[in-house]
Amino acid sequence: MTDNNQRLANCFANAFPEIQPDEIARASTASLAAWDSVTHITLLAAISEEFGVELDPEDFEELVSFALIADFLENRGAHG
Amino acid sequence: MTLNQALALIKERRGGAQKSVHFLVCGFQPLHLATFLHAYLLERRPGNSVEILTGLYGDLEGNLTKALGSAANEAAVVLEWSDIDPRLGLRANGGWSNSSKEDIMDSCRNRFARFTAAIQELAARMPVVVATPNLSLPPIGNTIRAQASEIELELEYQLAHFRLDLSKIPRLRILDSSHLAQLSPADARLDPKMELLAGFPYTRPYASELARSLVEVLDQRTPKKGLITDLDDTLWSGIIGEVGPEAVSWQQENHSQTYGLYQQMLGHLAGCGVLLAACSKNELPIAQAGLARKDLLLNAESLFPVCAGWGPKSKSVAEILRVWNIGADAVIFIDDNPMELDEVQQAFPAITCLPFPGKDPDKLWHLLGELRDLFGKPLVLEEDRLRSASLRASAEMREMAEETSSPQFLRSLHGGVTLDYRKNASDGRLVELLNKTNQFNLNGLRTTEGEWRRFLENPGSISLAASYQDKFGPLGKIAVLAADRAGPSIRVSHWVMSCRAFSRGIEFHMLESLFRQSNAEEIEFAFQATDRNQPLQEFFRLIGVQPNGSGNLRLARSQFSAHDSLLPHQVSELLQ
Repeated sequence: MTDNNQRLANCFANAFPEIQPDEIARASTASLAAWDSVTHITLLAAISEEFGVELDPEDFEELVSFALIADFLENRGAHG
Repeated sequence: MTLNQALALIKERRGGAQKSVHFLVCGFQPLHLATFLHAYLLERRPGNSVEILTGLYGDLEGNLTKALGSAANEAAVVLEWSDIDPRLGLRANGGWSNSSKEDIMDSCRNRFARFTAAIQELAARMPVVVATPNLSLPPIGNTIRAQASEIELELEYQLAHFRLDLSKIPRLRILDSSHLAQLSPADARLDPKMELLAGFPYTRPYASELARSLVEVLDQRTPKKGLITDLDDTLWSGIIGEVGPEAVSWQQENHSQTYGLYQQMLGHLAGCGVLLAACSKNELPIAQAGLARKDLLLNAESLFPVCAGWGPKSKSVAEILRVWNIGADAVIFIDDNPMELDEVQQAFPAITCLPFPGKDPDKLWHLLGELRDLFGKPLVLEEDRLRSASLRASAEMREMAEETSSPQFLRSLHGGVTLDYRKNASDGRLVELLNKTNQFNLNGLRTTEGEWRRFLENPGSISLAASYQDKFGPLGKIAVLAADRAGPSIRVSHWVMSCRAFSRGIEFHMLESLFRQSNAEEIEFAFQATDRNQPLQEFFRLIGVQPNGSGNLRLARSQFSAHDSLLPHQVSELLQ
């Protein structure tokens, strides 16, 4: 796992305290019952803080899985 | 604290032994404010777990009602202008026309009144901290931003009235807006993007500061009890032994106003029940001559004892602590001389030593603020007013009798003990006693105001408070015992008595009354030895109970009745 993905995984682990480490990379709003609208905001705010990226309202609609968020951060060149 | 740090702390501390339940009452989505509140409460309460309850979006009044009926022990109420009138937030389209503005004024007046009543009801049920609107108003004024407008001033006037009304509600705590402003500038608080996206109006840094402040006000640290001050170049400018009592100064015209400010602060602290004493390297008559100056800005009588001599200051401090009968950790020592501070600090590692910066007004101003935080408490009680006088009386009493606890001597005091069994949740003195008493303390267990209220709500619980007065004057409420009925016996979970009330036999009267009123054959004590509760242990040994380590101790009625001769005072009882 890259350093960025590890940091992203930490954000997931904090936002979803019950998640198992091997579930994180596959996590999405569809697969994770705990990923509701409130936790979504918390997770993305934590990621925004960790990587120093500003998120637009449309990003909140699109970033619905670990993989999509990881890609988004890579495209932004986000390192925090 | 960052959001990630808060989330990590919450994750790490899941499943703590004792859970405290808190209600966050707000009209916006609680989101990060709930997270930060949770984390700061955990930080403040090691070993505990915390649950934060919240209500519905956009219904502050309904959420106040919900909190009232909840299992919460404490509540934090956070209001914003959008709760007072939605048109003052970002998510409403009610308009800011002239007619709307008039309507906004009227509706704010009504809403403030309704919230006052609802918060009052909640505060009667549990400890509550309130943060009134701290975000800026929308740009509805006709002026440029640098100029105040009538409508903004009118709304701020209504808000000030609201805050004043809240301040009159017993035991309600209000967050100080100007203190918050020092921590977080007004223009760094609102997050319009998050407000429109999720209904959460705050930036993360502001949410963190707000939550931290709410916890600081709700869960206050035990205030210090006493302050020992140096005299020369501390209470006054100048060395009194060299220049004489008339030449030391503390006035603006002598460029020594900082000392005058310090004297006024000490006078203020004395009025709040803080014990003051003086410790000076001087001949005692010379020090007393300075303190006898009529223009001193505090009552010299409030400095007790005054220790002056040429030995190490730590010896004087030891004498003061002996007279006060309190631990060094509850005391502040102030001196301008770093060497004296160091000497006292080495002798008493637990004491808080602060340098007096008489020549530096900036640092002096900072010191006065620090003293406010060290001694500040939500309420000044009648007992605070009595404390200093009763200490003098105790010292006088000790001088009168070598063995103060002899029955003959105690009877000569013509003492009266009032034993109050009434359950009064609004009596903050009992929780204060439980949380600040160390020596005569059954087990060192502390309790929050919310936990105490829940205890009183239990029909089987017994709360016994003792007040005392004798020919030396009143001591006020000085002891409290908490117990539950357990079949034919009584189980005491908390028992504390102020050190000011030692050696008067009050503890015997409490047990005698408890046996008699409860008809119990046995009293069980949830005892735990601490490094400070030797006075309680000595009392147990005296009545034939061996305090070994920890666990339940038992005292049978027949065993206690052998000590009937140690009941020297008149007793009156107030029953539930």
